Amino acid sequence: MTRNGWIPTACYQCKAECAIMARVENGVLKEIRGNPKGRGKACVKGMAGVSLQYNPDRLTHPLKRVGKRGEGKFERIGWDEAMDIMAAKLTDLRDRGEAHKFTASFFPHSITDPKWRFLDAFGGFINTALPHCDSAKIVSFIKAMGGVPNHHIPPAYDTVPKGGVMIMAGRHAFGCLDDASVPRDILDARERGAKLVVIDPMFTADAAKADWWIPIRPSGDTALFLGMINHIVMNDLHDKKFVENWVREGDFDKLKAYIADKTPQAMSEICDVPSQDIVKLAEMCASAPSVGVDSFKGIMLGQAMDFGHAWTMFLAVTGNIDNPGGQPLPSLTPMSPVEPVPAGPDLGELGWHRTGPDRDMFDNYGFIMEPTWYEAQAIKDDGLKMLLVSESNPAMTEMGQEEWRKAVCLPGEGGEEYKLELMVSCEIMLSETSKYADLVLPDKSYFERWELLYMPWWYNFGQGVLLRQPVVEAAGECRHSNEVFIELGKRLTPEYFTFKDDQEFYDIQLAGLGLSVEKLQEMGGIWTTGTMGFRKYEQAGGFGTPSKKVHLYWEDLEAVDQAMPRPGLAAEYEVDVDDYPFILISYRTIFHQGTGKWTQNNPQLRDPVSGMYENPVLINAAKAEELGIANGDLITLRSRTGDVQVRAKLSERIRPDCLGLHHGFGSSIGRVAVTGDGVSDNVLIPDSGSTLEWQDLVGGEAHVSTRVSIV
Amino acid sequence: MAQLSLMVDLDRCIGCKTCIVACRNANGLTDHSALPGQMSNYLRVESVREGVFPELSLISRIIPCQHCKNAQCIKACDSEAISKDPGTGIVRIDPDKCSGSKACIEACPYDVIQFDELNGHAHKCDLCSRKIAMGEKPVCVETCMTNALSFGEKELLKQEALDAGKEIVKKMSAQSVLYVKNSR
Repeated sequence: MTRNGWIPTACYQCKAECAIMARVENGVLKEIRGNPKGRGKACVKGMAGVSLQYNPDRLTHPLKRVGKRGEGKFERIGWDEAMDIMAAKLTDLRDRGEAHKFTASFFPHSITDPKWRFLDAFGGFINTALPHCDSAKIVSFIKAMGGVPNHHIPPAYDTVPKGGVMIMAGRHAFGCLDDASVPRDILDARERGAKLVVIDPMFTADAAKADWWIPIRPSGDTALFLGMINHIVMNDLHDKKFVENWVREGDFDKLKAYIADKTPQAMSEICDVPSQDIVKLAEMCASAPSVGVDSFKGIMLGQAMDFGHAWTMFLAVTGNIDNPGGQPLPSLTPMSPVEPVPAGPDLGELGWHRTGPDRDMFDNYGFIMEPTWYEAQAIKDDGLKMLLVSESNPAMTEMGQEEWRKAVCLPGEGGEEYKLELMVSCEIMLSETSKYADLVLPDKSYFERWELLYMPWWYNFGQGVLLRQPVVEAAGECRHSNEVFIELGKRLTPEYFTFKDDQEFYDIQLAGLGLSVEKLQEMGGIWTTGTMGFRKYEQAGGFGTPSKKVHLYWEDLEAVDQAMPRPGLAAEYEVDVDDYPFILISYRTIFHQGTGKWTQNNPQLRDPVSGMYENPVLINAAKAEELGIANGDLITLRSRTGDVQVRAKLSERIRPDCLGLHHGFGSSIGRVAVTGDGVSDNVLIPDSGSTLEWQDLVGGEAHVSTRVSIV
Repeated sequence: MAQLSLMVDLDRCIGCKTCIVACRNANGLTDHSALPGQMSNYLRVESVREGVFPELSLISRIIPCQHCKNAQCIKACDSEAISKDPGTGIVRIDPDKCSGSKACIEACPYDVIQFDELNGHAHKCDLCSRKIAMGEKPVCVETCMTNALSFGEKELLKQEALDAGKEIVKKMSAQSVLYVKNSR
């Protein structure tokens, strides 16, 4: 296959998976553009995908561990041997009645990702290969509005009217992770006369373009929103028509009773936003033609579902649900099922994440996947015996990365070398996680494989299908992880894998739209309905909740005191305040999407001119002067779990009580990745599985920051 | 003399550097085996932050070759390798004539001229002459994530700015590239 010209496909430099065009010349990838049939934009990471494709560190053949886990010593093996090892181990696990102790950790590109199908057929679990940065939001939106999981659906910025308010709460939309067209659409909306409000402890690129930057205390956003709701409701400024018609009977009275003492003055004490500013923002929102709130887990950590709850209440009382400029409700693309549909493991019997001794604590857990951040604890509890990690790097992305590394090296019993009996890493380049793997499988890059994307997330609102197709030949013996899982399926659960290959799997699903992979190719790689629609609940006869109305009061959480959102700061911030006076902000930029080698080991994205090279710790300039710290000084940050040495960068961009560390740096492998003075934030952040009292167990979120001191 | 040029909307540039990488890829400057800091670039982003927490402002802008009216690089070049095209106003370096003295690099007040060590000549932005000859836009304009960049005849770009309620920031726009912001 030697192709030429511009070929439509899908980026995968981050989870936004934008529609792009790839220019290929004599079989060599040269350039990237946004796909004009999509939303037309690609970001700097997308452009630098070319350097990912031809990175000299690309893996080209399977490897088998020869040293101890963590040493990174491997020998070359063939695919047959690699597949035989995996099939034998998994068969043994299933024969022991412990199929549920197998987890595959990956970003599901669609709800029928072949890897997920294998897990459901085999009886294993999926975790998302992410610290569930918006699982609490998903839970909150399902509880409030029902329907399809809202896996980060931002406001439809291209629909915000003049005078509309766009609020970013701890959200760096200009850093993408939504479609690369989002920054354009936000700026267009501003030019139409919409207002941009950025609520963030740091002055971000978004804040630089905002009409108003509110430098809030980390995790104070629940209090801020409750203060606004108090002012709106108590002063009769709410959207009476929406509340009367679409809020469940009785819920608004319960809200009024609960919110009465959450005054702007009281909430100001918690979030450190002046009460007059809370009132001003509340009145601005109550009188605006639309308000959209863009956020993931809110600002930093801890009580993310409380924030999600306050957020949905705020949208309801201001009538900003599924209206132009407000919160879109996603819908599912009507794909055909691939019969027979496997049932998956019995969650009722097994509990979430194979549970173990902590099962009771997760009784109210409502997210659809198990949390990545419980991996280390699950290994310790013998709940996780085999782990396959694809396109993710828990050895650096897990909160408490050192605990993860220790857990995967715990010695086994009964002749097993390790407690975690099998660890497999599917990657395009060796990662920190690969160093702990028994097998490393060379994955295909996103320019070398087939994939069908149709999740109702990001900026797509579930209104279409996007095809990822090979534009260049795969390097060496690379195989896509989906191909690996389809072969495992054919060996271990053949009744669910009767289709020939990934393309036929996608053909079956596309039949629901009257399409096929070939037809989708012919029509430019994208199918959409062309419109997202507004106030769809009106035609649908209501919302997807049992009452068909929006639920403000969550009676199922009365026992854990979360029937209404708790206004306090994250529990972890309230502990050891004197010993660890700073809150560490783990921030990100457009240049790096995480710890993955596709950006961290990319010469263009680590180039100081075209990307970001190092991650010095940002410290408020006045605070640094008070402490006698100068620009460039090497300082030690200490948390409850570790120390890192890092250069100080004095800045006006950050609150005096916070320190800012860019996430994703500190690699120990990769020709480009190891250069510079990077440090990993997750050395400082305590292990989530052993600090469950600090995590959001209902919403599925773990902390991504912690308290630190400078020593 | 006609002058083709770029216009940078300071209200829309977010300093994302997408144009720098796109420019590298399009102009053959990308070296997948390079280490950070080793690749040439025809553009760079400069950001100026002013104020004290929490009263801050930040302006980001790209700095490509300014295609100067009286270009210092042309004056500095002893081998007459650099010229300003009278039809387009584009300042170009002829690689065949370039002696590799690097005098232009020393002379350039904008620090945008690069040196090709392998072939021994200076090189820089030519407003994507190959592309504009086919009626396309320079790659930075084509790929700008926020539509902050425009390309065209300088006098027409000025009219576009006026139409959009923008004023030209004179101290930044001394040469041929226009930097504009809201008049309000």
